Amino acid sequence: MSGFEPRVVAFLCRWCAAAGADLAGTNRLQYPPHAIPIRVNCSGRVEPQWVVEALKAGADGVLIGGCHPGDCHYVVGNYKTRRRVYLLRKVLEEMGIEPERVRLEWVSATEGGRFAQVMAEFVAELKRLGPLHEPGGPG
Amino acid sequence: MKLKLAVYWTGSCGGCDVSFLELGPGLLDVLPQLEIVFWPALVDAKRGDLEKLPSRSIDVALVNGVIRTAENKEMVELLREKSKQLGAYGACAHLGGVPALANHAPGFTEVVFGPGFRPASPWPEAPEDAPPALLPEALPLDEVVPVDFVVPGCPPPAGLIARFFQAALSGEVQAGQVFAEDKALCEECPRTREERRLTRIVRPHEVVPDPKTCLLDQGMVCLGPVTRGGCQAACPQAGMPCTGCLGPTPKAGDPALAMLSALASLVRAGEEGEDAFPQENQILDSLVDPIGTLYKYAYAKYARPLQRLARRREEVRA
Repeated sequence: MSGFEPRVVAFLCRWCAAAGADLAGTNRLQYPPHAIPIRVNCSGRVEPQWVVEALKAGADGVLIGGCHPGDCHYVVGNYKTRRRVYLLRKVLEEMGIEPERVRLEWVSATEGGRFAQVMAEFVAELKRLGPLHEPGGPG
Repeated sequence: MKLKLAVYWTGSCGGCDVSFLELGPGLLDVLPQLEIVFWPALVDAKRGDLEKLPSRSIDVALVNGVIRTAENKEMVELLREKSKQLGAYGACAHLGGVPALANHAPGFTEVVFGPGFRPASPWPEAPEDAPPALLPEALPLDEVVPVDFVVPGCPPPAGLIARFFQAALSGEVQAGQVFAEDKALCEECPRTREERRLTRIVRPHEVVPDPKTCLLDQGMVCLGPVTRGGCQAACPQAGMPCTGCLGPTPKAGDPALAMLSALASLVRAGEEGEDAFPQENQILDSLVDPIGTLYKYAYAKYARPLQRLARRREEVRA
Protein backbone atom coordinates (compact mmCIF):
# COMPACT_ATOMS: atom_id res chain seq x y z
CA MET A 1 0.00 0.00 0.00
CA SER A 2 2.36 2.65 -1.24
CA GLY A 3 1.63 6.31 -0.53
CA PHE A 4 -1.14 5.56 1.95
CA GLU A 5 -1.00 7.90 4.92
CA PRO A 6 -3.55 6.75 7.50
CA ARG A 7 -5.72 9.20 9.39
CA VAL A 8 -5.86 8.63 13.12
CA VAL A 9 -8.12 10.14 15.73
CA ALA A 10 -6.52 9.95 19.18
CA PHE A 11 -8.65 10.41 22.30
CA LEU A 12 -6.14 11.22 25.03
CA CYS A 13 -6.87 11.53 28.72
CA ARG A 14 -5.67 14.88 30.02
CA TRP A 15 -3.94 13.50 33.12
CA CYS A 16 -1.78 10.87 31.47
CA ALA A 17 -1.77 10.25 27.72
CA ALA A 18 -2.28 13.88 26.64
CA ALA A 19 0.43 14.96 29.07
CA GLY A 20 2.64 12.20 27.66
CA ALA A 21 1.97 13.50 24.15
CA ASP A 22 2.91 17.01 25.29
CA LEU A 23 6.10 15.66 26.75
CA ALA A 24 6.94 13.94 23.48
CA GLY A 25 6.57 17.35 21.86
CA THR A 26 8.61 19.32 24.37
CA ASN A 27 11.33 16.66 24.17
CA ARG A 28 11.25 17.11 20.38
CA LEU A 29 10.78 13.42 19.80
CA GLN A 30 10.09 12.46 16.21
CA TYR A 31 6.94 10.45 15.62
CA PRO A 32 4.40 10.08 12.78
CA PRO A 33 2.15 13.15 12.49
CA HIS A 34 -0.96 11.22 11.45
CA ALA A 35 -3.10 11.72 14.54
CA ILE A 36 -5.70 14.35 15.28
CA PRO A 37 -5.50 14.48 19.07
CA ILE A 38 -8.65 15.10 21.07
CA ARG A 39 -8.07 15.72 24.74
CA VAL A 40 -10.72 14.29 27.06
CA ASN A 41 -10.87 14.51 30.83
CA CYS A 42 -10.73 10.75 31.23
CA SER A 43 -10.43 7.81 28.85
CA GLY A 44 -13.55 6.55 30.63
CA ARG A 45 -15.45 9.41 29.02
CA VAL A 46 -14.82 8.06 25.52
CA GLU A 47 -18.09 6.69 24.20
CA PRO A 48 -17.98 3.76 21.77
CA GLN A 49 -20.20 5.96 19.58
CA TRP A 50 -17.41 8.53 19.29
CA VAL A 51 -15.00 5.87 18.13
CA VAL A 52 -17.42 4.59 15.51
CA GLU A 53 -18.26 8.15 14.49
CA ALA A 54 -14.57 8.82 13.88
CA LEU A 55 -14.28 5.69 11.72
CA LYS A 56 -17.40 6.64 9.77
CA ALA A 57 -16.20 10.20 9.31
CA GLY A 58 -12.95 9.21 7.65
CA ALA A 59 -10.48 7.92 10.24
CA ASP A 60 -8.58 4.73 9.43
CA GLY A 61 -7.89 4.06 13.08
CA VAL A 62 -8.74 5.34 16.55
CA LEU A 63 -6.30 5.46 19.43
CA ILE A 64 -7.51 5.79 23.00
CA GLY A 65 -4.82 6.76 25.45
CA GLY A 66 -5.45 6.42 29.17
CA CYS A 67 -3.59 6.10 32.46
CA HIS A 68 -1.87 2.89 33.51
CA PRO A 69 -3.99 0.57 35.69
CA GLY A 70 -4.06 1.99 39.18
CA ASP A 71 -3.21 5.53 38.02
CA CYS A 72 -6.61 6.82 36.85
CA HIS A 73 -7.30 10.29 38.20
CA TYR A 74 -10.94 9.21 38.61
CA VAL A 75 -9.86 5.84 40.06
CA VAL A 76 -11.72 3.49 37.67
CA GLY A 77 -12.27 5.36 34.37
CA ASN A 78 -9.56 3.46 32.54
CA TYR A 79 -11.04 0.12 33.67
CA LYS A 80 -14.39 1.11 32.21
CA THR A 81 -12.84 2.11 28.91
CA ARG A 82 -10.83 -1.11 28.79
CA ARG A 83 -14.00 -3.19 29.01
CA ARG A 84 -15.77 -0.99 26.47
CA VAL A 85 -12.95 -1.22 23.97
CA TYR A 86 -12.77 -4.99 24.50
CA LEU A 87 -16.46 -5.35 23.62
CA LEU A 88 -16.39 -2.75 20.84
CA ARG A 89 -13.52 -4.54 19.13
CA LYS A 90 -15.51 -7.77 19.21
CA VAL A 91 -18.49 -6.04 17.60
CA LEU A 92 -16.30 -4.40 14.95
CA GLU A 93 -14.69 -7.74 14.15
CA GLU A 94 -18.08 -9.35 13.75
CA MET A 95 -19.09 -6.51 11.43
CA GLY A 96 -16.03 -7.26 9.29
CA ILE A 97 -13.84 -4.33 10.36
CA GLU A 98 -10.36 -5.14 11.64
CA PRO A 99 -10.41 -4.73 15.44
CA GLU A 100 -6.78 -3.55 15.25
CA ARG A 101 -8.12 -0.23 13.99
CA VAL A 102 -9.19 0.58 17.53
CA ARG A 103 -6.30 0.58 19.95
CA LEU A 104 -6.20 1.23 23.68
CA GLU A 105 -2.85 2.13 25.20
CA TRP A 106 -1.72 3.18 28.65
CA VAL A 107 0.64 6.17 28.54
CA SER A 108 1.66 8.05 31.67
CA ALA A 109 2.49 11.75 31.86
CA THR A 110 6.20 10.94 32.03
CA GLU A 111 6.19 8.58 29.05
CA GLY A 112 6.79 10.89 26.11
CA GLY A 113 8.96 8.25 24.52
CA ARG A 114 6.29 5.65 24.90
CA PHE A 115 3.71 7.92 23.27
CA ALA A 116 5.99 8.39 20.27
CA GLN A 117 6.53 4.65 20.08
CA VAL A 118 2.79 3.88 20.32
CA MET A 119 2.06 6.33 17.50
CA ALA A 120 4.78 4.83 15.33
CA GLU A 121 3.51 1.30 15.95
CA PHE A 122 -0.12 2.20 15.35
CA VAL A 123 0.56 4.09 12.12
CA ALA A 124 2.73 1.19 10.88
CA GLU A 125 -0.09 -1.23 11.72
CA LEU A 126 -2.67 0.91 9.87
CA LYS A 127 -0.38 1.16 6.86
CA ARG A 128 -0.22 -2.61 6.85
CA LEU A 129 -4.02 -2.88 7.11
CA GLY A 130 -4.61 -0.34 4.35
CA PRO A 131 -7.23 2.41 4.05
CA LEU A 132 -10.67 1.90 5.59
CA HIS A 133 -12.28 4.29 3.14
CA GLU A 134 -12.41 4.60 -0.62
CA PRO A 135 -10.11 7.16 -2.18
CA GLY A 136 -11.90 10.49 -2.00
CA GLY A 137 -14.08 9.22 0.86
CA PRO A 138 -15.10 11.24 3.92
CA GLY A 139 -12.66 13.29 5.94
CA MET B 1 -65.91 13.58 8.09
CA LYS B 2 -64.26 10.20 8.30
CA LEU B 3 -60.50 9.78 8.33
CA LYS B 4 -59.32 8.23 5.08
CA LEU B 5 -56.88 5.53 6.15
CA ALA B 6 -54.56 3.24 4.21
CA VAL B 7 -52.54 0.41 5.76
CA TYR B 8 -49.94 -1.46 3.76
CA TRP B 9 -47.43 -4.19 4.49
CA THR B 10 -44.08 -4.62 2.84
CA GLY B 11 -41.48 -7.11 4.15
CA SER B 12 -43.28 -8.01 7.36
CA CYS B 13 -44.61 -10.93 9.36
CA GLY B 14 -48.19 -9.70 9.41
CA GLY B 15 -48.19 -9.12 13.14
CA CYS B 16 -48.55 -5.37 12.69
CA ASP B 17 -51.78 -5.79 10.71
CA VAL B 18 -53.17 -7.95 13.50
CA SER B 19 -51.99 -5.59 16.24
CA PHE B 20 -54.92 -3.20 15.69
CA LEU B 21 -57.11 -5.83 17.36
CA GLU B 22 -55.18 -5.13 20.57
CA LEU B 23 -57.39 -2.07 20.94
CA GLY B 24 -60.14 -4.50 21.99
CA PRO B 25 -63.50 -2.79 22.58
CA GLY B 26 -61.74 0.51 21.83
CA LEU B 27 -61.73 -0.56 18.21
CA LEU B 28 -65.52 -0.12 18.17
CA ASP B 29 -65.06 3.60 18.86
CA VAL B 30 -62.35 3.99 16.24
CA LEU B 31 -63.76 2.00 13.32
CA PRO B 32 -66.88 4.14 12.64
CA GLN B 33 -64.63 7.17 12.27
CA LEU B 34 -62.48 5.54 9.61
CA GLU B 35 -62.88 5.15 5.89
CA ILE B 36 -60.53 2.38 4.89
CA VAL B 37 -59.46 3.22 1.36
CA PHE B 38 -56.69 0.67 1.00
CA TRP B 39 -55.68 -2.19 3.32
CA PRO B 40 -54.80 -5.40 1.47
CA ALA B 41 -54.73 -7.53 4.63
CA LEU B 42 -58.30 -6.54 5.41
CA VAL B 43 -60.22 -5.59 2.28
CA ASP B 44 -59.72 -6.53 -1.33
CA ALA B 45 -58.01 -3.79 -3.29
CA LYS B 46 -55.34 -3.94 -5.93
CA ARG B 47 -52.52 -1.67 -6.87
CA GLY B 48 -54.66 -0.36 -9.74
CA ASP B 49 -57.27 0.88 -7.27
CA LEU B 50 -54.61 2.83 -5.44
CA GLU B 51 -53.26 4.26 -8.70
CA LYS B 52 -56.72 5.61 -9.57
CA LEU B 53 -56.95 7.68 -6.37
CA PRO B 54 -56.21 11.39 -6.69
CA SER B 55 -52.92 12.65 -5.33
CA ARG B 56 -52.92 13.35 -1.55
CA SER B 57 -56.45 11.98 -1.20
CA ILE B 58 -55.55 9.59 1.64
CA ASP B 59 -55.41 11.37 5.01
CA VAL B 60 -53.07 8.93 6.76
CA ALA B 61 -51.16 5.93 5.42
CA LEU B 62 -49.46 3.43 7.73
CA VAL B 63 -46.72 1.22 6.34
CA ASN B 64 -45.48 -1.79 8.26
CA GLY B 65 -42.55 -3.94 7.17
CA VAL B 66 -39.07 -3.47 5.84
CA ILE B 67 -38.37 -2.39 2.25
CA ARG B 68 -37.00 -5.56 0.71
CA THR B 69 -38.09 -5.75 -2.96
CA ALA B 70 -38.52 -3.40 -5.91
CA GLU B 71 -42.28 -3.85 -5.52
CA ASN B 72 -42.11 -2.74 -1.87
CA LYS B 73 -40.32 0.38 -2.99
CA GLU B 74 -42.77 1.19 -5.80
CA MET B 75 -45.76 0.65 -3.53
CA VAL B 76 -44.56 2.95 -0.75
CA GLU B 77 -43.63 5.59 -3.31
CA LEU B 78 -47.16 5.34 -4.68
CA LEU B 79 -48.63 5.55 -1.17
CA ARG B 80 -46.46 8.55 -0.41
CA GLU B 81 -47.81 10.35 -3.45
CA LYS B 82 -51.44 9.53 -2.60
CA SER B 83 -51.22 10.42 1.11
CA LYS B 84 -51.17 13.62 3.12
CA GLN B 85 -49.32 11.93 5.98
CA LEU B 86 -47.37 8.69 5.91
CA GLY B 87 -46.18 6.89 9.01
CA ALA B 88 -43.84 4.03 9.80
CA TYR B 89 -45.85 1.50 11.78
CA GLY B 90 -43.86 -1.07 13.73
CA ALA B 91 -40.16 -1.72 14.21
CA CYS B 92 -39.45 -2.96 10.65
CA ALA B 93 -40.65 0.20 8.91
CA HIS B 94 -39.15 2.32 11.70
CA LEU B 95 -35.69 0.78 12.09
CA GLY B 96 -35.44 -2.19 9.73
CA GLY B 97 -36.52 -4.66 12.39
CA VAL B 98 -35.63 -8.32 12.66
CA PRO B 99 -35.78 -9.01 8.87
CA ALA B 100 -33.07 -6.39 8.33
CA LEU B 101 -30.61 -8.49 10.34
CA ALA B 102 -30.32 -10.26 6.98
CA ASN B 103 -28.13 -7.31 5.98
CA HIS B 104 -25.56 -8.83 8.32
CA ALA B 105 -25.55 -12.06 6.30
CA PRO B 106 -25.14 -11.11 2.63
CA GLY B 107 -25.60 -14.14 0.41
CA PHE B 108 -28.08 -15.67 2.85
CA THR B 109 -30.41 -16.65 -0.01
CA GLU B 110 -27.87 -19.28 -1.05
CA VAL B 111 -27.92 -20.67 2.48
CA VAL B 112 -31.70 -20.62 2.77
CA PHE B 113 -32.67 -21.74 -0.73
CA GLY B 114 -29.59 -23.77 -1.63
CA PRO B 115 -26.84 -23.23 -4.19
CA GLY B 116 -27.84 -21.98 -7.61
CA PHE B 117 -30.88 -20.11 -6.26
CA ARG B 118 -32.46 -17.88 -8.88
CA PRO B 119 -35.26 -15.45 -7.99
CA ALA B 120 -38.37 -15.09 -10.15
CA SER B 121 -38.05 -12.84 -13.20
CA PRO B 122 -39.62 -9.42 -12.74
CA TRP B 123 -42.96 -8.36 -14.24
CA PRO B 124 -44.07 -8.52 -17.07
CA GLU B 125 -42.42 -11.98 -17.37
CA ALA B 126 -44.71 -14.92 -16.65
CA PRO B 127 -45.14 -15.71 -12.92
CA GLU B 128 -42.76 -18.33 -11.53
CA ASP B 129 -42.70 -20.51 -8.46
CA ALA B 130 -39.88 -18.56 -6.76
CA PRO B 131 -39.60 -15.57 -4.47
CA PRO B 132 -38.91 -12.18 -6.05
CA ALA B 133 -35.42 -10.73 -6.29
CA LEU B 134 -34.29 -8.88 -3.18
CA LEU B 135 -32.87 -5.39 -3.04
CA PRO B 136 -29.16 -5.41 -2.06
CA GLU B 137 -30.12 -4.23 1.43
CA ALA B 138 -33.25 -4.32 3.57
CA LEU B 139 -34.14 -0.69 4.28
CA PRO B 140 -36.21 1.16 6.85
CA LEU B 141 -39.06 3.17 5.33
CA ASP B 142 -37.46 6.59 5.74
CA GLU B 143 -34.54 5.54 3.52
CA VAL B 144 -37.01 5.28 0.62
CA VAL B 145 -39.66 7.96 1.17
CA PRO B 146 -40.05 10.88 3.61
CA VAL B 147 -41.81 9.67 6.76
CA ASP B 148 -44.03 12.03 8.78
CA PHE B 149 -44.41 10.07 12.01
CA VAL B 150 -43.65 6.75 13.71
CA VAL B 151 -45.81 4.32 15.66
CA PRO B 152 -43.02 2.09 17.00
CA GLY B 153 -43.00 -1.41 18.46
CA CYS B 154 -42.88 -5.06 17.49
CA PRO B 155 -45.79 -4.85 17.12
CA PRO B 156 -46.90 -1.45 18.47
CA PRO B 157 -48.51 -1.92 21.88
CA ALA B 158 -52.21 -1.11 22.34
CA GLY B 159 -51.60 2.05 24.34
CA LEU B 160 -49.50 3.60 21.59
CA ILE B 161 -51.94 2.57 18.84
CA ALA B 162 -54.70 4.26 20.83
CA ARG B 163 -52.56 7.36 21.25
CA PHE B 164 -51.95 7.44 17.50
CA PHE B 165 -55.63 7.14 16.61
CA GLN B 166 -56.54 9.82 19.12
CA ALA B 167 -54.13 12.22 17.42
CA ALA B 168 -54.99 11.14 13.86
CA LEU B 169 -58.76 11.40 14.36
CA SER B 170 -58.41 14.94 15.67
CA GLY B 171 -55.95 15.83 12.90
CA GLU B 172 -53.16 16.51 15.37
CA VAL B 173 -50.33 14.27 14.21
CA GLN B 174 -47.18 16.40 14.36
CA ALA B 175 -44.41 16.16 11.78
CA GLY B 176 -41.67 13.94 13.16
CA GLN B 177 -43.82 12.69 16.00
CA VAL B 178 -42.89 9.35 17.55
CA PHE B 179 -45.79 7.78 19.41
CA ALA B 180 -43.76 6.65 22.44
CA GLU B 181 -41.98 8.26 25.38
CA ASP B 182 -38.71 10.16 25.04
CA LYS B 183 -37.70 8.76 28.42
CA ALA B 184 -36.16 5.32 28.82
CA LEU B 185 -38.21 2.23 29.44
CA CYS B 186 -36.57 1.83 32.89
CA GLU B 187 -38.59 4.86 34.06
CA GLU B 188 -41.80 2.86 33.80
CA CYS B 189 -40.38 -0.51 34.83
CA PRO B 190 -41.59 -1.64 38.27
CA ARG B 191 -38.48 -3.71 38.94
CA THR B 192 -36.01 -2.34 41.48
CA ARG B 193 -32.44 -1.57 40.68
CA GLU B 194 -29.84 -2.15 43.41
CA GLU B 195 -26.58 -3.74 42.40
CA ARG B 196 -25.47 -1.50 39.53
CA ARG B 197 -22.96 -4.15 38.60
CA LEU B 198 -22.95 -7.18 36.39
CA THR B 199 -21.11 -10.27 37.64
CA ARG B 200 -22.34 -12.50 34.82
CA ILE B 201 -24.20 -12.27 31.52
CA VAL B 202 -26.93 -14.84 30.93
CA ARG B 203 -29.55 -15.53 28.28
CA PRO B 204 -33.25 -15.68 29.19
CA HIS B 205 -33.50 -19.47 28.97
CA GLU B 206 -30.65 -19.96 31.42
CA VAL B 207 -32.31 -18.47 34.49
CA VAL B 208 -35.63 -18.07 36.24
CA PRO B 209 -35.45 -14.38 37.08
CA ASP B 210 -36.36 -12.97 40.46
CA PRO B 211 -39.71 -11.20 39.95
CA LYS B 212 -38.80 -7.98 41.74
CA THR B 213 -35.24 -6.98 40.88
CA CYS B 214 -33.88 -5.39 37.73
CA LEU B 215 -33.14 -7.92 34.99
CA LEU B 216 -29.82 -6.24 34.21
CA ASP B 217 -28.81 -6.74 37.84
CA GLN B 218 -29.57 -10.42 37.32
CA GLY B 219 -27.26 -10.60 34.33
CA MET B 220 -29.78 -10.38 31.52
CA VAL B 221 -29.03 -8.06 28.63
CA CYS B 222 -32.06 -5.79 29.01
CA LEU B 223 -32.09 -2.87 26.56
CA GLY B 224 -34.39 -0.83 28.80
CA PRO B 225 -31.80 1.89 29.55
CA VAL B 226 -31.46 2.84 25.87
CA THR B 227 -35.01 2.14 24.67
CA ARG B 228 -38.04 4.42 24.61
CA GLY B 229 -40.76 3.82 27.17
CA GLY B 230 -44.39 3.52 26.13
CA CYS B 231 -45.16 -0.17 26.61
CA GLN B 232 -45.23 -0.05 30.44
CA ALA B 233 -42.16 -2.30 30.32
CA ALA B 234 -44.30 -5.19 29.10
CA CYS B 235 -41.44 -7.64 28.54
CA PRO B 236 -39.51 -7.00 31.79
CA GLN B 237 -42.81 -7.29 33.68
CA ALA B 238 -43.19 -10.75 32.17
CA GLY B 239 -39.64 -11.72 33.11
CA MET B 240 -38.12 -11.18 29.67
CA PRO B 241 -35.44 -8.56 29.00
CA CYS B 242 -36.31 -5.63 26.74
CA THR B 243 -34.99 -6.20 23.23
CA GLY B 244 -35.44 -2.61 22.11
CA CYS B 245 -38.46 -2.76 19.76
CA LEU B 246 -39.65 0.79 20.50
CA GLY B 247 -36.32 2.10 19.25
CA PRO B 248 -33.66 4.16 21.02
CA THR B 249 -34.43 7.20 23.13
CA PRO B 250 -33.49 10.49 21.41
CA LYS B 251 -30.46 10.72 23.72
CA ALA B 252 -29.18 7.17 23.19
CA GLY B 253 -28.14 7.52 19.55
CA ASP B 254 -26.99 4.14 18.24
CA PRO B 255 -28.75 1.83 20.70
CA ALA B 256 -26.29 -1.02 20.32
CA LEU B 257 -23.23 1.10 21.03
CA ALA B 258 -24.99 2.89 23.88
CA MET B 259 -25.94 -0.44 25.45
CA LEU B 260 -22.47 -1.87 24.82
CA SER B 261 -21.09 1.08 26.74
CA ALA B 262 -23.51 0.58 29.62
CA LEU B 263 -22.93 -3.17 29.79
CA ALA B 264 -19.17 -2.87 29.75
CA SER B 265 -19.10 -0.28 32.48
CA LEU B 266 -21.31 -2.44 34.74
CA VAL B 267 -19.25 -5.62 34.41
CA ARG B 268 -17.34 -6.56 37.57
CA ALA B 269 -15.23 -9.55 38.51
CA GLY B 270 -14.50 -8.69 42.11
CA GLU B 271 -12.26 -5.72 42.90
CA GLU B 272 -11.48 -3.68 39.77
CA GLY B 273 -7.87 -3.73 38.68
CA GLU B 274 -5.35 -5.41 36.46
CA ASP B 275 -5.77 -8.78 38.19
CA ALA B 276 -9.47 -8.81 37.33
CA PHE B 277 -8.98 -8.21 33.57
CA PRO B 278 -9.03 -11.89 32.50
CA GLN B 279 -12.18 -12.64 34.47
CA GLU B 280 -13.86 -9.45 33.24
CA ASN B 281 -13.09 -10.56 29.70
CA GLN B 282 -14.66 -13.94 30.42
CA ILE B 283 -17.88 -12.24 31.52
CA LEU B 284 -17.86 -10.02 28.43
CA ASP B 285 -17.20 -13.08 26.24
CA SER B 286 -20.38 -14.68 27.57
CA LEU B 287 -22.42 -12.08 25.66
CA VAL B 288 -23.56 -14.42 22.89
CA ASP B 289 -24.29 -12.85 19.48
CA PRO B 290 -23.66 -9.20 20.35
CA ILE B 291 -24.92 -7.94 16.98
CA GLY B 292 -28.18 -9.89 17.07
CA THR B 293 -28.74 -9.00 20.70
CA LEU B 294 -27.85 -5.31 20.69
CA TYR B 295 -28.99 -4.46 17.15
CA LYS B 296 -32.03 -6.75 17.12
CA TYR B 297 -34.30 -4.16 15.49
CA ALA B 298 -31.97 -1.27 14.71
CA TYR B 299 -29.34 -2.88 12.50
CA ALA B 300 -30.56 -1.39 9.21
CA LYS B 301 -30.98 2.06 10.69
CA TYR B 302 -27.68 2.36 12.57
CA ALA B 303 -25.15 -0.22 11.37
CA ARG B 304 -25.30 0.42 7.63
CA PRO B 305 -22.44 2.95 7.32
CA LEU B 306 -20.04 0.63 9.16
CA GLN B 307 -21.31 -2.34 7.26
CA ARG B 308 -20.58 -0.57 3.96
CA LEU B 309 -17.01 0.09 5.11
CA ALA B 310 -16.70 -3.56 6.06
CA ARG B 311 -17.97 -4.68 2.64
CA ARG B 312 -15.42 -2.50 0.95
CA ARG B 313 -12.66 -3.93 3.12
CA GLU B 314 -13.80 -7.40 2.16
CA GLU B 315 -13.59 -6.52 -1.55
CA VAL B 316 -10.13 -5.00 -1.10
CA ARG B 317 -8.88 -8.07 0.75
CA ALA B 318 -10.34 -10.46 -1.85
